[in-house]
Amino acid sequence: MADVTYREALRRALDEELGRDDRVFLMGEEIGRFEGSYKVTAGLWEKYGPRRVRETPISEGGFVGAGIGAAMMGLRPVVEIMTINFILVAMDQVINHAAKIHYMFGGTVAVPMVIRTPGGAGAQLTAQHSQSLEAWFAGTPGMKVVAPSSVADAYGMLKTAIRDDDPVLFCENLVLYNLSGTIPDEDEDYTVPFGKAAVVREGDDLTLVAHSYTVQRALRVADALARDGVETEVIDLRSLRPLDAETVAESVHKTNRALIAEEGWSTYGVGSELAARIHRVCFDDLDAPVERVGQAEVPMPYAKPLELAALPLESKIEAAARNLLADCGVL
Amino acid sequence: MAEELVMPRLSDTMEQGTIGRWLKREGDAFAEGDVLAEIETDKALMEFQAYDSGTVLKILVDDGESADLGAPIALVGEAGEQAPADAGKAEKKPAKKRKREDSAAAEEAAPAPAAREPEAPVRAAAAPSGNGRAGGSAALRVSPIARRMADQAGIDLAPLAGRGSGPEGRIVKADVERLVKDGGAAEQPGGADAPAAAPPAGSELRDLTPMLKAVAARMAHSKQTVPHFYVESEIDMTRALELRKELNDGLDGERVSVNDLIVRACAMALIDHPQAHRSYVDGRHAYHAHADIGIAVALDDGLVVPVLREADTKSVRQISRETKDLVARARDGQLRQREIEGGTFTVSNMGMFDVANFEAIINPPESAILAVGGTVPRAVPVDGDIRVRSLMRVTLSCDHRACSGADGAKLLQSVKRYLQAPSLLLA
Repeated sequence: MADVTYREALRRALDEELGRDDRVFLMGEEIGRFEGSYKVTAGLWEKYGPRRVRETPISEGGFVGAGIGAAMMGLRPVVEIMTINFILVAMDQVINHAAKIHYMFGGTVAVPMVIRTPGGAGAQLTAQHSQSLEAWFAGTPGMKVVAPSSVADAYGMLKTAIRDDDPVLFCENLVLYNLSGTIPDEDEDYTVPFGKAAVVREGDDLTLVAHSYTVQRALRVADALARDGVETEVIDLRSLRPLDAETVAESVHKTNRALIAEEGWSTYGVGSELAARIHRVCFDDLDAPVERVGQAEVPMPYAKPLELAALPLESKIEAAARNLLADCGVL
Repeated sequence: MAEELVMPRLSDTMEQGTIGRWLKREGDAFAEGDVLAEIETDKALMEFQAYDSGTVLKILVDDGESADLGAPIALVGEAGEQAPADAGKAEKKPAKKRKREDSAAAEEAAPAPAAREPEAPVRAAAAPSGNGRAGGSAALRVSPIARRMADQAGIDLAPLAGRGSGPEGRIVKADVERLVKDGGAAEQPGGADAPAAAPPAGSELRDLTPMLKAVAARMAHSKQTVPHFYVESEIDMTRALELRKELNDGLDGERVSVNDLIVRACAMALIDHPQAHRSYVDGRHAYHAHADIGIAVALDDGLVVPVLREADTKSVRQISRETKDLVARARDGQLRQREIEGGTFTVSNMGMFDVANFEAIINPPESAILAVGGTVPRAVPVDGDIRVRSLMRVTLSCDHRACSGADGAKLLQSVKRYLQAPSLLLA
């Protein structure tokens, strides 16, 4: 086992996959000599050279399209988009090409491409650079969307993504890059399957579901509630499409209460989808309606107090949990 | 145009009604005010009157069958009109498996265009009446898991309507867990998730009649939630028995009972003691203007408590006549809803069963009930002598939220005074 950061876990996964399979190559803005805006590709340009670690012009539509073409022809591109906000100029390539080609070609051609990109907010990057748009992609058949919250999952799921034959949107988070954790030592075959949520804390009183960085917030909320004797079960979705609603349902069956937190907007969000599925499968298990917490329904403000007010911070998640529990005569 | 006739809300606690019998059959015309059917509710057999005129096209729920509140029970329309072809579909639809829990929804069913309103007196009875009945019409909101747990534990949640811990009184899991812990469930060691305890092998299981269900729920609720206290006394009935004999000898053929004298005495005593004649309702006291005395009547299987109105304003003879009529109709199942609700006090007399003494459960929202044992001759010291007197033991059960021990004692003292100086009953 090795203690590493989330960033380093991603770097190792890329390094191992580049070493394992020479069809794998990286593409993105400033990922070579500059080692990427968040240093995820540190050292790889030097190790594998400019053919395998390719720097691109500032043209997301162009290089995502190039990645799709390479994937169709049998390579395994890992495309970095500096933040998820910049994927918007490549939407036609992602939604109308990457996600559709396997279907449009009658299953004869696949697009085994990974798009790595961080989302998240909290550094006063304001409305256009603070978004969590993963739910848009998770609503698109033909895509796979994952958003690991732990170091080990970042490592194992990136390897799974690169080996997957479908286009995968691999969502990272700006705040997670410095998170510490452990990963197995140099294990070429360590992968984490898609479509399997993780119960990261067990409890009987409330099911709190989250993905990506919000899982860390959820764990802190669970600690706070535990001081009042409430045991929260925290579920890390890890994978948004395919979505593991079964693990969530199993938990709600036990706790009878569910709260979903996410960094994006609640409306039409991950929580909306999950709430619908919980109500469908767990209707007779529920002690109160499923609740959601997300970013305030506004473009992210620049001013620090307003940004804090808009973020789904621990305080908001905890307040929602307490309200829900109070409605159930608990707390 | 054919319209659906739906099961009306004839009592504030009914969830289902059973058609006693249809008085108008398919093809029969009816006018406004005609009795269409007799419907058995959880409390009584009621008449279901037509709100306007029409013809019965099709009966969907036949004699002896049950339907949920608001469920269609017949199709009505113009003479000669055909019932729509899909009427059979409605007919085959059985009473919904899950009880209709939301009485607010049930209330909505009544003013629907197709619905006929029940007869006026019943409609009036469904609204909170003047003597402090409240809470009965609160919507029963239950979270799904709480409902499932209550079903499994065999707990009737209706008495808790509107008083759960959730928003707007929703009953939630924690409430049911508490009920189960407090013994609301039928003594199940396994807790909420355990299936109902199996009866001994060989026992025959029978469903409760709506009336027995209502009695079970009301009494369990009363004994669990009303803080009862008990005051006991012994009343010398010698002079009351003499008065009764004198009255019966004088009144040609009419027979006044001891119970009539007790009812009269209670009515007078209640008016004397307003603090023992009030109900505790949602944190307030409802003071009663008149003594509306419930008289417990045992049936072959069950009991019913018709209410004698304004007993404080009536003579012993009038009380006697009205009581005889109420008791006779109670035994025939012919009481109307309004005759069995809205009491302010109950007298339960088991003297005829050779009972020395017993304690009765209060019938909410009343706040007291008098349990009357048998009258027996006993040797007692009187003025230094030993005499044989007819003694009767009584126990008054009181709701401590409505009155104090002293209030209850004073009330009982007055009852005793009136019965031991019975000419006062004629005053």
